[in-house]
Amino acid sequence: MRARLIAIFLIRRALALLVLLLMISFLVFGLLYLAPGNAIQVLLGTHPASRSVIAALTAKYHLGDSFFEQYLFWLKGAIHLDLGVSIQTGQTVTTLIGGRIGVTIFLGIYAFLISVLLGVPGGVIAAMRNRTVADRAIVGISLLGVSVPAFVSGVFLLYLLAIDAGWFPIYGPGTGFVDELWHLTLPAFALAIGVMALILKLTRAAMVTVLEQDYIAFAQSRGVSPARVIIRHGLRNALGPIVTAGGLILGVVLTGAVLVEQVFALPGIGSLLITAVGTKDVPVVQGFTLLAAAILIGANFLIDLCYLFIDPRMTTGRAAI
Amino acid sequence: MMSAHQPSGPAALGDSRLLSVRGLRIVSRIQGEERVITAGSDFDLAPGETLGIVGESGSGKSMTARALIGLLPTGVRADGEVTYRGRNILALPERELRRLRGAELAIVFQDPFTMLNPLMRCGAQIVELVRDENGKPLGRHARRAEAARRLAEVGIADPAVADAYPFELSGGMRQRVGIAAAIARDPQVLIADEPSTALDVTTQREILARLRDVQRGRGMGLILITHDLRVAFALCDRVLVLYAGSVLETASAEQMEAEPQHPYTLGLLLSDPPVDRRLSHMTAIPGSVPAADQVADMCAFSPRCQWRVEACDAGAPALIEVAESRWSACVRVPVIVPEMLAVKSEALAARADREGAAADLPAADVEGAVAAARGLEKVFGDSRQSGRRVAALKGVTLEIGEDEAVGLVGESGSGKTTLGRCLVGLERPTAGTVLVNGVDTGHQGRLSGGERRRLRRTVQMVFQDPYSTLNPVRTVGATLAEAILAADEHARDVRSAVAELLERVGLPARYAERKPVALSGGERQRVAIARALAVRPRLIVCDEPVSALDVSVQAQILNLLTDVRRELKVSYLFITHDLAVVRQVAERVYVLRQGEMVEQGATSDVLDNPQHWYTRKLVDSIPSSDEAWLARAEAEQDSEELERAERRA
Amino acid sequence: MTAITAPDTGFVGLASKRGRRRPSLLIAVSTLIMLLVVASAIFGSLLAPQAANAQNLLYGVHPSSAQHLLGTDDFGRDIFSRLIVGARAAVIGPALIAIGALVIGNALGLIAGYVGGRVDYFIMRLADLVWALPGLLIAIVVVGVIGGGYYVAVVVLIVLTFPVDARIVRGATLQQRNMPYVEAAATLGLSPLRLMIRHIWPNLLPLVMANTFLNFAFSLVSLSGLSFLGLGVPLNTPDWGGMLAQNLPLLQSNALACLAPAIALVLTATSMNLIGDWTYERLSDRGRAR
Repeated sequence: MRARLIAIFLIRRALALLVLLLMISFLVFGLLYLAPGNAIQVLLGTHPASRSVIAALTAKYHLGDSFFEQYLFWLKGAIHLDLGVSIQTGQTVTTLIGGRIGVTIFLGIYAFLISVLLGVPGGVIAAMRNRTVADRAIVGISLLGVSVPAFVSGVFLLYLLAIDAGWFPIYGPGTGFVDELWHLTLPAFALAIGVMALILKLTRAAMVTVLEQDYIAFAQSRGVSPARVIIRHGLRNALGPIVTAGGLILGVVLTGAVLVEQVFALPGIGSLLITAVGTKDVPVVQGFTLLAAAILIGANFLIDLCYLFIDPRMTTGRAAI
Repeated sequence: MMSAHQPSGPAALGDSRLLSVRGLRIVSRIQGEERVITAGSDFDLAPGETLGIVGESGSGKSMTARALIGLLPTGVRADGEVTYRGRNILALPERELRRLRGAELAIVFQDPFTMLNPLMRCGAQIVELVRDENGKPLGRHARRAEAARRLAEVGIADPAVADAYPFELSGGMRQRVGIAAAIARDPQVLIADEPSTALDVTTQREILARLRDVQRGRGMGLILITHDLRVAFALCDRVLVLYAGSVLETASAEQMEAEPQHPYTLGLLLSDPPVDRRLSHMTAIPGSVPAADQVADMCAFSPRCQWRVEACDAGAPALIEVAESRWSACVRVPVIVPEMLAVKSEALAARADREGAAADLPAADVEGAVAAARGLEKVFGDSRQSGRRVAALKGVTLEIGEDEAVGLVGESGSGKTTLGRCLVGLERPTAGTVLVNGVDTGHQGRLSGGERRRLRRTVQMVFQDPYSTLNPVRTVGATLAEAILAADEHARDVRSAVAELLERVGLPARYAERKPVALSGGERQRVAIARALAVRPRLIVCDEPVSALDVSVQAQILNLLTDVRRELKVSYLFITHDLAVVRQVAERVYVLRQGEMVEQGATSDVLDNPQHWYTRKLVDSIPSSDEAWLARAEAEQDSEELERAERRA
Repeated sequence: MTAITAPDTGFVGLASKRGRRRPSLLIAVSTLIMLLVVASAIFGSLLAPQAANAQNLLYGVHPSSAQHLLGTDDFGRDIFSRLIVGARAAVIGPALIAIGALVIGNALGLIAGYVGGRVDYFIMRLADLVWALPGLLIAIVVVGVIGGGYYVAVVVLIVLTFPVDARIVRGATLQQRNMPYVEAAATLGLSPLRLMIRHIWPNLLPLVMANTFLNFAFSLVSLSGLSFLGLGVPLNTPDWGGMLAQNLPLLQSNALACLAPAIALVLTATSMNLIGDWTYERLSDRGRAR
């Protein structure tokens, strides 16, 4: 019975998200026409305009068709992972992105791990020692972390540990796993400062609320061990709001990655976006945006899935009686 | 699991004491400020004995419970001696305390809706710490068996409850699960902190019976914390009265009920309205409950005591043994006991001349009625989400005439609050009509704006929660002024009108400058009544107006309502779950159950001679110190258990 | 996108030792910093010791000296003056975003919470849609492709911020609306507008103010990123994010040229965050209706 409710919920959710993705793809496609100049000018970029080139472009992008038909054509291509050709470099967008996404993924996961490993325990400890000096110190650090833009922390780390102390390389992604780890450490930490602060804030807030609840005191009064009280009764119940913010966290990671890649000159998709924006390379921008949207929406769906396991009240659609 | 033996009488105070408390002083230190919560309590608990700790808000009873089990919040410290099995609990290190908790001393909390972990199945919570003879965790089968056994012990016959999450169960069932979890490791002492306060009156009786059941079956000591003296007398062998952090009296339940040896106890006894008669005037304790440190160096009750002399303020009086195993902290006790007894018999004899039997009541006259409801229906919930439609009212008809006080009685889910709100205009009924001054409020389009406004003000409301009934950012005077101007835009001299209103409800005029945060609960409720009166209504709907107040203040407000009615001839619709209270206020009463009217009539008729089984059940649920009260409950609840278990499946 | 979590209440309130009347030293310092920043934003060129855009190409980049407190950049421009004048560009966007989200979010949130109906549905759906979106990325894409610069980015961020604000206000409004004091006022026959504005909203004040401050801090952090990427203000206008980007290559010759705007950004954001948390805690202690 519950399994059926779960299935219905998931299917409805998946459909809703799919519709959302389609709507976004429509907007993304429309970017071509929202850019200044008409479509041909945008697609030409800095290339000289000759009649044959224009004719070729018109044919290739079906510019003679109606807006909606062009959209469908583009969408079909997107589903087959064909996102067009970069105006600037002539490579396919897919190749461009594919070649650079590795660095960004490495960076993102690295930073995420650091943030979770520092942020969650930090938030739990701060909540346990609520309103003591330790708590104030932790909250202070987290407040600072939220106030520092990712590129600022990048610059500081770059200056202090790479240029001044020379412990880390100044730019580039490195080759091979270990070398890449070393090269990406500073960028990952720069990115992680902001994300960690956010995770810490969320964890602490959720834990403080949970620890004030009667069932925590009840568990303690029955003699449940402190470790189990904190983890099974405490953190387990605090997971809900933290996991729900997963989409937000991913967004912050993505944004921070774009900035950090600039500071450390890393060839990831973030810097690709910036270059593309600078040169008005619309197909690349479209490709990036569609990819980012797909990732975010996919992540949200996974989060909804996780949430079902975290909180059984969801399936009946009802909170407490 | 019922046991046949009698409860143990007043504890034999030898070394067979289970728990011995001496000089328990609880102090909170927040941001450098130190505040006393309890000034030094002494009491004992014998094996198998039930001790009741009775106190109002601010008495320190909940903190005392927490101190006994070593779970005081941060910043709160306890000094003194709490001896359990020869060791002082307060001096034990945390590790030792942890070993005691659950295994020797256990506690059940007040609110069943927050006591259980919402994300953990009930069975898992019950057997969480249960180990086999070798101290090893139980296997899956053993766990299920244990869970089923313990659920049965608290009266839950359906083992499927073990797999349920708390949100799938009713309040009463959750409370039972909580009790089962608390005693899972067979402790010697169980502390029940207001175990039935958050429940309906009928459920309350069941839970108390269960507690007694479980206690007798295991021979545990039970400490029952409550604000309700009647409950304490019904369940406990001995009772201890706590007030503003000081123990004022300790005695056996029978002795205390018959002959209280402290003015406060007497006052508390008299503040509880009797259900078998209507008093012309309730004996109320003046003033409100002070904070413990305001009265730390004197008799805590003396500011409100009518027998106060100078000696009472000289220092905190000690508990003196006034008779065999009876203690009282009143320095004047031997002298004033006869007077107190006289006051008691006088108070109970003050029957109202106007009790009104069915014959005396005017015939129900719809057109002349101030307000009436005809076939009222109200359904809540989304039409899209079919599972969630709740029918709060299923066709209710009633009327309230001029200068008439009508009671509306029911438990939670009866629809009584919804009905009141429909009359005031805060809810719109799904079907049926509401008539105010003979005008159908559903068709207000035909009236002019002024007439419509006037209609709205014919009926006003006094709400239950005094702490959110006034806008916290406005002064009392501003709130009242707004009400006065709403009634009459061109009112002159609003200030003196405000002062007049305040006086009428027994508050000094200078309160107009205060903000609600500076007022006590009882005072805020008085302001709420003043606000309702400001527009000169013909009917005031009182929705549980005294339920959230301290017992010693309730009587004051009830008296106020009676006085106001006498002066202004305003009608009341008095909504409550408390039959004794409704008897004091209303001549006629309607009984609601799950949205339907099950009985109505003159209050004395309905309460003395209930016709409907539900009314009878309600009347029976009023706590009584009669032995049979709890015994009957146990017999009845087994059949109801089956009914409910079937419904859950 | 707002600062999603509620303000932290652990840190600031306890930094004050004696009672709650006097704000802590930390808050005093934060307020001072904010006043300096605001003064710089308004009076910029009057306060700066030198003209912010005055180039001295022959002099070039130099570390700090008596004449140039923070040194010069590779165009010979005085960093200190640019820092002061740059406050305006850095701060005006976040201020507009915070105020825009405040006005629109509060109006819609009040209506959604009090009246419900279509406005409520619309706000909830919109907030669901928008709350996890990376605002800066969207601003980059929009500004980058469509153009329009700084103020288009500001509008984009307002659009992305107000729904969550509205949802927060809606939740708080719902909570207040169900309280007896609002219902009592309704039975007096007062109009819904009056109830919303004169009864409910004053009780939302701590939440609203704290949220506005936090929005400002968050937008500051976001928008500075835009300038850093060169997509914000025009290149000549001094701006902290832009300065940071332009002077990145100078880290080895005059680190302060890059670090000073960085520090300015962090100090401003931190101060605003501190003030926001403090406001929430301080005002919510005044016996709000439970």
